[in-house]
Amino acid sequence: MHSTPHAPLGADFSRRSFLKGASVAAVAGTSAAAADTAATSRVTRFGPGLHEITLQVNGAARKTQVEPRTTLLDALRNQLDLTGTKQICDRGACGGCTVLLDGVPINACMTLALDVEGRELKTIEGLANGDDLHPLQRTFIECDALQCGFCTPGMIMSGVACLEAGATKSREQIAGCISGNICRCGTYTRVVDAIQMAAKQGGGR
Amino acid sequence: MSDLRTRGDHPMGDHQRDDHEMTIGFAGDHKVVKVKLKDGDIKPWDLHTEFKIVGTDVKRVDAVAKVTGKARYAFDMNLPGMLHGLLVRSSIARGKVKSVDTSAAEKAPGVVAVLRTKEDGQRVRFIGDDVVAIAAETMDQARDAAALVKIEYQQEEHVSNFRKAEGAPKTDADGAITDPWPESAEMDAALAKGKASVDATYSVEVQTHSSLESHGTVAWWKDDSGELEVWSSTQAVGGTLQAFAQAAKVPQNKVRVHAEFVGGGFGSKFPPGSEGLFAVRLTLAAKRPVKLMLDRYEEHTCTGNRPSAIMQMRVAADDKGRLTAFDYHSVGGPGYSGQGGNTSAPTYYAAHLDKGARRVAHQDLATDTDAARAMRAPGRPQGFFAAEGVLDELARKLTMDPLALRLVNDGSALRQYEWKLGAETFGWKERYNAKPGEPRDANKPWLLQGAGLSSAVWGQLGGGNYKVTCRIHQDGTVEVRNAAQDIGTGLKTALAILVAEELGIDVSRVRATTGDTIDPAGPASGGSTTTPSIAPAARHAAAKAKQKLIERLAKALGVEATQLAYEQGHFRLDGQRKMSFVDACKRMGPEPIEEQGERFPNYEAYQGNVCGCQFAEVEVDARTGVVRVTRMLAVQDTGLVIAKKLAESQVLGALIQGISYALHEQRIIDHRMGRMLNGDFNHYKIAGSVDIPQLDAILVSVANGANNVGAAGLGEPPAVAPAAAIHNAVANALGVPVRALPITPDRVLKALKSKASMQAEREAGGR
Repeated sequence: MHSTPHAPLGADFSRRSFLKGASVAAVAGTSAAAADTAATSRVTRFGPGLHEITLQVNGAARKTQVEPRTTLLDALRNQLDLTGTKQICDRGACGGCTVLLDGVPINACMTLALDVEGRELKTIEGLANGDDLHPLQRTFIECDALQCGFCTPGMIMSGVACLEAGATKSREQIAGCISGNICRCGTYTRVVDAIQMAAKQGGGR
Repeated sequence: MSDLRTRGDHPMGDHQRDDHEMTIGFAGDHKVVKVKLKDGDIKPWDLHTEFKIVGTDVKRVDAVAKVTGKARYAFDMNLPGMLHGLLVRSSIARGKVKSVDTSAAEKAPGVVAVLRTKEDGQRVRFIGDDVVAIAAETMDQARDAAALVKIEYQQEEHVSNFRKAEGAPKTDADGAITDPWPESAEMDAALAKGKASVDATYSVEVQTHSSLESHGTVAWWKDDSGELEVWSSTQAVGGTLQAFAQAAKVPQNKVRVHAEFVGGGFGSKFPPGSEGLFAVRLTLAAKRPVKLMLDRYEEHTCTGNRPSAIMQMRVAADDKGRLTAFDYHSVGGPGYSGQGGNTSAPTYYAAHLDKGARRVAHQDLATDTDAARAMRAPGRPQGFFAAEGVLDELARKLTMDPLALRLVNDGSALRQYEWKLGAETFGWKERYNAKPGEPRDANKPWLLQGAGLSSAVWGQLGGGNYKVTCRIHQDGTVEVRNAAQDIGTGLKTALAILVAEELGIDVSRVRATTGDTIDPAGPASGGSTTTPSIAPAARHAAAKAKQKLIERLAKALGVEATQLAYEQGHFRLDGQRKMSFVDACKRMGPEPIEEQGERFPNYEAYQGNVCGCQFAEVEVDARTGVVRVTRMLAVQDTGLVIAKKLAESQVLGALIQGISYALHEQRIIDHRMGRMLNGDFNHYKIAGSVDIPQLDAILVSVANGANNVGAAGLGEPPAVAPAAAIHNAVANALGVPVRALPITPDRVLKALKSKASMQAEREAGGR
């Protein structure tokens, strides 16, 4: 459903249900801690229980404790109190939890927190520079590309990726970039307007 | 123009009721009427009022919070020591709870509270009915514990398909009702009077509200003070407060409910639901805050829906298209509640008919599934789909343009204007396929094109004795406050605009606060009544505050209040000295001015409802059956347009939801189990960005004259017509109606096949 590319993850498991109840998970080292262990045994044991990780979110190192099954979405929202990233379907079908991982849009609900240690995360909270809004945040307001606002953070993150990829040549191309984001109030037309307007104004930063 | 009706020294003490002249209506039809203003009310705005801010493209006042992720919805509340709650739900569709063993769940890691929501012997009414509530340190721990709960049931046979429920009408293989119509000699005569008649059955499937923020509540029982503070994703903070107080067995004055931001509701979020009540019970048990938000499957299966329905209609018309008979009945499948499945057809087309020639009936059939709830214009999209569809079938039989048939039968002057304006703007003549079913382009015989239309009506202009607070601060900033919740409609923005207009100041000076029961009570966000109900009180509050500011300024300047005039954000003393609003506020003294505005009963309005019509154009691939909407236009009476851009957003949103309802959405149930199979966004298809064509909205500003503002709500009105217009466009493209929603490719192919066999029969008969 997502037409935007997803970042390759370090491990090929992506749902907490896969890990539920499992006490051992083999992970090719994606984090510094994992790499240390990997040098000796090539297998890292996580869980059960909590594991300390450091997430690079919006330019800051944030230390937190997660279970192996904790999704990035839960870690952001519940541990780091970054609740701008929304939990809507929790199954990778709505794009409400879209964040940028090394600049690439991903569904935070389909990503394990453990898997993204050491990688650069950007959430909706990190988009504006203080009161200086990102151009797309400004055009969202200008075009009234939001109603209840619940899909808006995910829409904007997908839109930012769309702008940065330069995939703004036509309305169809823009619509494709946000096709993984569901809006129930029905803002799509104006979301496309907003991305198009931001692109005309010079795109990203 | 907008001054308080003052008399002597007592601005509010006017007990005379004199007539006030105002012009009401719209550009195409207006009149001067005399209205009686209630004591203390202010002079109403009317058709001739010139506005500075009202009706302009003001930015949504809470947009910055929403685009930066700072807006905190109930789902986003994180409180110190907060637990995560969930409900363990019935796995059978019908029966009784025999026994529940929660001992293992209680001992599971992180579990703090486990409550029974159903006792032994109590009924479960559908798959998803609540049985146990759990609160644990984390959501994962709560889920682990839920898996350990053992529930035994005394299972009974269930019926999840309302078409098979007791009392369901008999239907043929195509789904058409075969039971005879109730006998009526008058109706038979009326039908016989027509030159042509149609008798057809239409049907719709269950649509779920699918608000993006799920239902749920964060509840915090503060044991020390005996207070309950709640953040709820709700359309009714007032009603939920009462329910929460009852659940907690505490006085209502100890409960406070917040809903500053709500991630959609569409009619599904009026009652607190078991998820709200048990969030409260869990926080009482745990003495810690509890968050209980539903997951997506629960959202699809336990929080209501727009119910399924079968609608049968027969109509007849004379050779001019004038209806001679209008006979409509429907059967609804509202789930276990057995009520709320009503549909509503546009009976105004039959307003000229005698009672005996006009009949409407409805019957609900209970099933063992989740109960229906109001959903955006409850009953109307279904009933209009059927009736407007049948009218198109009738027009075709009469070889009449469907628009002409509407114009002949529609008695509303406003809609007559809207029909003509819409047809002109949309290009109805060019887009309507005069040879239904025939391709436009001979080189692409598989590409069928057509256009359709539908009328709409919604009848609410608000009411209720609501109050609004307006506060003017010494620094020149202003507050407007009411407890009603802004569920995405733009209520905060509307309130800010009204106050800014009345005070003659910039909207940026006004902060609107909604969704907090500490403020004056507001209406539930339902029936498109919120804005029209409180807008007059907001304006009244600002007018009163302005009057107070004049008095305070006069005192500070040592003059009489009557020497001060206030216009366009400036005070003038005896027509000379000029002072800005901000400078005036500096002189008003340290105490903020606080006034409450009142909502007076409506005057007799131009009309008590909101009218509209919509046009749709589609392309159908006859090889695959795939329908693509290529263009839509909504012409919508909006009362007084307060926030133009936001009003347009709401209308466009209704079109998009309508496309989704017309083409995609349906709850699919495994009837052997009674379980919804597609209770997620992977399989319950909602229209996405790539499904949306060019959409246009024409807002028709109508001075409805109902009160001092004349606003109309826009939740319902534009949601009535889209599915009907799209179906009619598809029928025009195919040359045969589909008669069922959603218009999925299989249904399109089936309709084409039936057309082909009908044609073959006709040709065979002709020989």
